[in-house]
Amino acid sequence: MAIIEIEGLAKSYRVYQKREGLGASVAGLFRREYRLVEAVRGIDLSVERGEFLAFLGPNGAGKTTTLKLLSGVINPTRGTARVMGHVPWRRENAYRRRFALVMGQKNQLWWDLPAAESFRLHQQIYRIEPARFERTRDELTEMLSVGHLLGQPVRELSLGERMKMELVAALLHSPEVLFLDEPTIGLDVVAQHKIQLFLREYQAERKTTILLTSHYMKDVAALCRRVVIIARGRLIYDGSLEGIVDRFGGEKIVTLQLANGKAPVDLARYGEPLPALPPRAKLRVQREVVSEVLGRLLAEYPVHDVSVEDPPLEDVIAAVFAGVEGNDEL
Amino acid sequence: MHTPLSYFRVFVTFLRNSLVRDMTFRANFLIDTISSTVWVFMNLGFYVLIFHYTPMLGVGTGWGKYEFFLFLATTLLINSLMRGLFLSNAVELSERIRTGTLDFLLVKPIDTQFLASLGRIEWSAVGPFACGLLLMVYALAKLGVMPGPATAALYVLYVLCGVAIYYSLMIAMASTSIWLGRNRALLDFWFYITNFSRYPMEIYRGPFGTPLRHFFTFLIPVFIAVNVPARVLVRPLEIRSPADWALPGFALLATAGSLVLSRWIFQRALVSYRSASS
Amino acid sequence: MLARAATSWTILRISLQERLVYRGDFALGTLIRFLPIITQIFLWAAVFSAVEAADASRRTIADYTYPAMVGYYLLTMVSRAFSSMPGLASGIAREIREGTVKKYLVQPVDMLEFLLLTRVAHKLVYYLVAVGPFALVFWICRAYMPGWPGPEVMAAYVASLLMAFLLGFFLEATIGMIGFWFLEVTSLLFVYMLLNFFCSGHMFPIDLLPGTLGEVVRLLPLQYLAYFPTAVMLGRVTGPDLACGLCIQLGWVLFFLIAARVTFHYGVRRYSGFGG
Repeated sequence: MAIIEIEGLAKSYRVYQKREGLGASVAGLFRREYRLVEAVRGIDLSVERGEFLAFLGPNGAGKTTTLKLLSGVINPTRGTARVMGHVPWRRENAYRRRFALVMGQKNQLWWDLPAAESFRLHQQIYRIEPARFERTRDELTEMLSVGHLLGQPVRELSLGERMKMELVAALLHSPEVLFLDEPTIGLDVVAQHKIQLFLREYQAERKTTILLTSHYMKDVAALCRRVVIIARGRLIYDGSLEGIVDRFGGEKIVTLQLANGKAPVDLARYGEPLPALPPRAKLRVQREVVSEVLGRLLAEYPVHDVSVEDPPLEDVIAAVFAGVEGNDEL
Repeated sequence: MHTPLSYFRVFVTFLRNSLVRDMTFRANFLIDTISSTVWVFMNLGFYVLIFHYTPMLGVGTGWGKYEFFLFLATTLLINSLMRGLFLSNAVELSERIRTGTLDFLLVKPIDTQFLASLGRIEWSAVGPFACGLLLMVYALAKLGVMPGPATAALYVLYVLCGVAIYYSLMIAMASTSIWLGRNRALLDFWFYITNFSRYPMEIYRGPFGTPLRHFFTFLIPVFIAVNVPARVLVRPLEIRSPADWALPGFALLATAGSLVLSRWIFQRALVSYRSASS
Repeated sequence: MLARAATSWTILRISLQERLVYRGDFALGTLIRFLPIITQIFLWAAVFSAVEAADASRRTIADYTYPAMVGYYLLTMVSRAFSSMPGLASGIAREIREGTVKKYLVQPVDMLEFLLLTRVAHKLVYYLVAVGPFALVFWICRAYMPGWPGPEVMAAYVASLLMAFLLGFFLEATIGMIGFWFLEVTSLLFVYMLLNFFCSGHMFPIDLLPGTLGEVVRLLPLQYLAYFPTAVMLGRVTGPDLACGLCIQLGWVLFFLIAARVTFHYGVRRYSGFGG
């Protein structure tokens, strides 16, 4: 029994055009022009307990909207979803007690108070037993090394420290499902890395089911075995990260190391030359013809070493997104 | 593993956290308290001035100087409770809707309206509240009246009803931010509507006054909020005819109706919530 | 000289354009601002009827009949439309606090002049839009309005209104300049708002204040923001008193103009003294 079951989930809403000028405003009271935005256009997804899943997709694709639907923050236009057996948008207290939502760009902690006070409020609201609360809080703050900052007003913390506190707050009640919306956005590399490590350790230990949206490939690569690509409100890929390259990456990168130290001049015959310093030469070759091209290259040039690699993940994904932008129907 | 959810304990945490916050910004707290208290006294000065020229407001209304002070004290109590408990929360609700941080209230396992209405308590409202109590004691002393326990109980009941009616109006207005977008005028609107109930409703007479009085008694019952408890104190329960029961009885109905209607509006607003995107 | 005039004109023009966008808000806001007056009118009706019931021969309070009292309140709305400067002092204080005041010091634009021009633009647009609602309300209440006054009174009224605008502007600007010395101007502003509300004639005619209290309040410049122009229009200040009043009003305008300039000058000096 999957912990998250989504079927045909869709969300669209009207965006009303705002008019300038008094006359237009009055006219606007009677008949308003609107544009229909289809944020999510029918998603089917099934997630097992303990999975660590990433949502990838260009901006405005519907990733965050999907997370919001699953946390019950907004109501869908059609479709069904069940998380741990609950319908999220019914917002039952029994459901809300079992999951947590963290959003990288919004803060939920009281700004002027120390994080400890916000945590205390959490304890009351989530009905956490005092002993267990203290234990969990100490564990979490230790794992994230923010124990010494508990007494400092949240507004005085750096962005990274604040994000860590938000994570602590979210996990105090030991949720079974965790929704993370761009948790590392805007953080420096060190903070990102620390949070990655924390999430990996935490998930391995607690087997929490985690849904993560992120733009940072490093996060996704480090944490998630399963990746879902959402573009234009639809799910266009569901599988492993490497599988993306197989599915979407039409090319390979061939790197040659030439024995005579001279750069070949007519590589363009075989593929798209990429910048490289001699004695190296790089080119992009269509996947289907790699072996043939390789054979010809080895025959023609004094090759000392050769390697055939997949293009960087970012490039493939960027191409997928860009392709999506161009296409209307996918 | 879980302790039972106690809304009361959560509320106490709100009180505590807000107090900590207010004490952190002590200067602002003091300024707020002092300024609202001074405002009360200046208004009092104006009313003293009016009673310099006339012994009563209106003809045969029974609102003499000290009776009016009791009315004023009631206004102060209700308004300071509103300001202390609900006003900042209503304004913040509009902000949360605008910035999308309402999301965090929606995912908590506790009634969203409760969380949105009481999260922030303004302790500086204690100043005007105390003024209200003092004024009440002073006026009662001058009138030589000592209310009995029944009157006192009824008074407290109707003050709470008044607060409930005002609250319903406020939360309904704040909820409309979901549909109307930025609601900068919320505070102003609030001021304008409650401004009508600054004086006893008897002053609204004549061809324009009477419809106004009916409107704010039966449709948007702001007059009920202050007038009924004030009358309880000024004219202790004299049940001479069924008509005397009418207004206090209606007040209870209006309170219940307002609370139900405002909750419905709030829930409808949540369903339409868009959640401003990052 | 001509270049400066051209700059001023540009500032005015741009501000006008900017404000016109908000004209919808202005129209509705104007009507709504009349709402508290309704309560006051009913209050005074109750007071007057009580006075009359007690003694049928007495119909006036401090020389105001009930219609005159209503007319007074309606007319103070006009004075206030000229003299109220929402956000001026707090805006100046905020710009000082946030450091954006530097732009005035660096650019060849005089801060006071710039603020004055933007205020003028704001007021012009406001009047353009408010004329409708005001005319409507005054027409509905025409029974309470005084008749059209003679040309001298009209001229004096207009003069007092214009001076009320200038007085309100320079007074609040001076308060804002205090921000160069004290970061938190809000408490001072609050005191000013309070005094303004009670001593300018906005809440009640100053004639109501008895004895010494009334005399003290009349010494303050605040009465020229709301009470004085209204009293002129109602014909309560005539002849030599009128001329005298106008002169004193002018005196206050000049006083605060100088005060604003001086505080700005010394404030800037103090400000630049801190780490450029």
